[in-house]
Amino acid sequence: MAQSMATVSDEFTPQPDQHSPAILASVSGVSKSFPGVVALDDVDFEVFSGEVNALVGENGAGKSTLIKLMAGIYSPDQGSIVVDDKELEASPSFAHRAGIATIHQDHNLVPGMSVAENIVLGRWPTRLGIISKSALLERSREALALVAPELSLDTLARRLSPAEGQLVEVARALAEKSRILIMDEPTTSLSGPEIDRLFGVIANLKRQGMGVVFVSHWLEEVFRIADRITVLRDGRLVGSAPAADLDQATVIKMMVGRNVRETVVPERSIGEPVLEVRGLSRSNALNSVSFNVRAGEIVTLAGLVGAGRTELANCIFGYSGYDSGEILINGKHLPKRDINAAIRMGLALIPEDRRGQGLVGQLSVAENVTLALFDQIAPKGVISFPKENRIVEDARKALSIRMPSSKSQVSTLSGGNQQKAIVARWLSRKPRLLILDEPTKGIDVGAKAEIGDIIVGLAENGVAILLISSELPEVVSFSDRVLVMRSGQIVGELDRSEKSPEGIMHYATTG
Amino acid sequence: MKIKTDDGARPLLERLGDSMALGGSTTFLEVVQSLGLLTVIVICSIVLSFASPVFLTIINIENLLFTATIVAVVAVGQAFVILVAGIDLSVGAVLALSSVLAVGLSLHGGLPVPVAIAAALLTGGGIGLVNGLCATVLRIPPLIATLAMMSIARGAAFLYSGGRNIAPVPKVFIEVQAARIFGIPVVILFTLALALVAHFVLTRTSFGRSIYATGGNPVAARLAGIRTDRVTVIAFVISGLTAAIGGLMITARLEAGAATAAFGMELTVISAVVIGGVSLFGGEGKIVGVLLGVLLLGLVQNAVNLLNVPPNYDLVVSGVVIAAAAALDVARRKYVEAGLLRRTIIDKGESADGK
Repeated sequence: MAQSMATVSDEFTPQPDQHSPAILASVSGVSKSFPGVVALDDVDFEVFSGEVNALVGENGAGKSTLIKLMAGIYSPDQGSIVVDDKELEASPSFAHRAGIATIHQDHNLVPGMSVAENIVLGRWPTRLGIISKSALLERSREALALVAPELSLDTLARRLSPAEGQLVEVARALAEKSRILIMDEPTTSLSGPEIDRLFGVIANLKRQGMGVVFVSHWLEEVFRIADRITVLRDGRLVGSAPAADLDQATVIKMMVGRNVRETVVPERSIGEPVLEVRGLSRSNALNSVSFNVRAGEIVTLAGLVGAGRTELANCIFGYSGYDSGEILINGKHLPKRDINAAIRMGLALIPEDRRGQGLVGQLSVAENVTLALFDQIAPKGVISFPKENRIVEDARKALSIRMPSSKSQVSTLSGGNQQKAIVARWLSRKPRLLILDEPTKGIDVGAKAEIGDIIVGLAENGVAILLISSELPEVVSFSDRVLVMRSGQIVGELDRSEKSPEGIMHYATTG
Repeated sequence: MKIKTDDGARPLLERLGDSMALGGSTTFLEVVQSLGLLTVIVICSIVLSFASPVFLTIINIENLLFTATIVAVVAVGQAFVILVAGIDLSVGAVLALSSVLAVGLSLHGGLPVPVAIAAALLTGGGIGLVNGLCATVLRIPPLIATLAMMSIARGAAFLYSGGRNIAPVPKVFIEVQAARIFGIPVVILFTLALALVAHFVLTRTSFGRSIYATGGNPVAARLAGIRTDRVTVIAFVISGLTAAIGGLMITARLEAGAATAAFGMELTVISAVVIGGVSLFGGEGKIVGVLLGVLLLGLVQNAVNLLNVPPNYDLVVSGVVIAAAAALDVARRKYVEAGLLRRTIIDKGESADGK
């Protein structure tokens, strides 16, 4: 299927009845690696004037890396990005001058400045070094008139809604005379009518010859707006074709299809429910979520980023509070927002953001492993170093953590070994329920397999596992049950016989 | 090769990478890491001993250390707060309040001396508690919370004393100030003992670990079950307590309870802690470094006195030295970090290659 898809360059033929689209930017043979992971591998990508090229793919497929390369934030390890016959230099200001404007997911407006000042941000019209207020207003009014004439130029950016903020960013791109507009997940925080509005604006920009790169998870939207769809998977280009030649099912297949490493999950007895979640709601995040996880069972929460899976994990572990609902552990009520109670009752959480939430980078591997084990290594408050060393040494053997020494700073380990250090922290507590949030994110293939084996091994020993993963083949091969979340709700449940990457993607992206 | 690995199956190249990453570079890095400040102190001392015949006399050195003790005690407490990524600007004021209370309560308040001293210490600890609660429960940035407290405590000291020095001080202050064990002033020994206890707490107890973890990554610490708010509050209480102890020490030195004592001392103390290598972002630093930082500042003050720097210049000189020491420290860190990064890349490079 991927092979039958032709890539842009050899397939593209200008259509006589339309304006003749010119190539605005061409990315060729670009590769980019980060420590422990190859983010992009020999990818070609082109932006045509007057076209919306939608970039789709699973989390971690390389979409963000590609747009960051085009925005001049990263420099490619190999390959080139050519805009107007000129090679793009890895500098955001160079990209701006080359006519590439990027609207990132988090808004890039200066909250304390007015709409007008934000539109001409960094290129304030000056006379003798003094900002000319009238020229500033003039220039920003022109740009704003094309996208959102009803907005006042004097409004402070912090008073804008997310949708308005986005339109102001579009206006900024216009004021900069940008010819390529990159939008990273622009619709995530917008309501239906706001999306319609944004799409109207995009259509307008197309007519003026602008090339738009539109990144989205939502296939329905993609098919509404895109002229061309480009699919990335595991950092490689799967294919790129006119949207008219594709349908949702084909795109889903392109997104997930790959060689699945079958993890053999042995038959085992599933016990009593360990975790019961009843009607959990939290405003703007979770909407009446109910499910359970039994001893020895691996339940996976699938879904896209922003579906509410991390929020759910944080509520269960007591890091965040919730508005209504109840959580039971082995039939006993779990207090709300009390991490220490959760730990006492046998819960463990391995957070998604390893560096930001899992590890204390300045501390050593050993100190990180025993961070939740003071009751074992220091029952009276004074640390027993022999005990600490024994625990760390046992963990190193059990999980084959590769480290120069247990005294090395944890931040010097590779991603996979850092993750194992966090797993080690909780294993020594013998948890009843282990929650893992994207445990294989950003680690290399070999370490992924090892983490997978550890998870299965724990389940065999009767630990209830709640796994959050966006890596569909994994989700499918490990889990006994898959719950698909979207917009804070569980929208689908698939058991062993029903689960398939396509089925999960269907629930997560459509409907 | 220091590592004991039972993974003989690993490719030779990978193991070689480990040993390279570990080899001579680590030890050399560690040497540089621990040096820095000590080098500066030694160089300053050598220069001074040539510049002034008085410098290397026992009287001068004792005087230098004596002066440094108060800053050292307060800086040790401050270090706890900065380690949890806080800051305590109220220490100078707390010191003054403790000073006037300790003398005033016994002289005019009719309390027995030990009770008056205990009350002064409790006040310091209590102020620390309030600072800590403001920073955690109310989420007021510590800079603001303790700035307000600085004003309140200084005001309270003036209100209580009416702006006049309270004297004479109880006899015990004079006695402790003069006391020596094996010829070494008790005040110096006490300061060293306090620093030793602080060092022990920070390196060998679960509370100390919690301090580093809370300052290094509060979210990770919280998710590991560390009660980060409680840890932060205790750090502020420790700072309040050491400031109050500093108040007792300054009382003994001035032989009076003085509301004007230690004006602006918070900045000296914070400078010493930061020069000593404690990161203002929290989670990094050692008590030994703090003591060296205090020593360097003491040395600068001493030099200014010995070399007869005109009084209006001494502030400028102090400032220049602080900036120079900080710049040197940044340079040293950069060097060490570049070394660490190189090691990281070697370490990660091999796994990324999938070898």
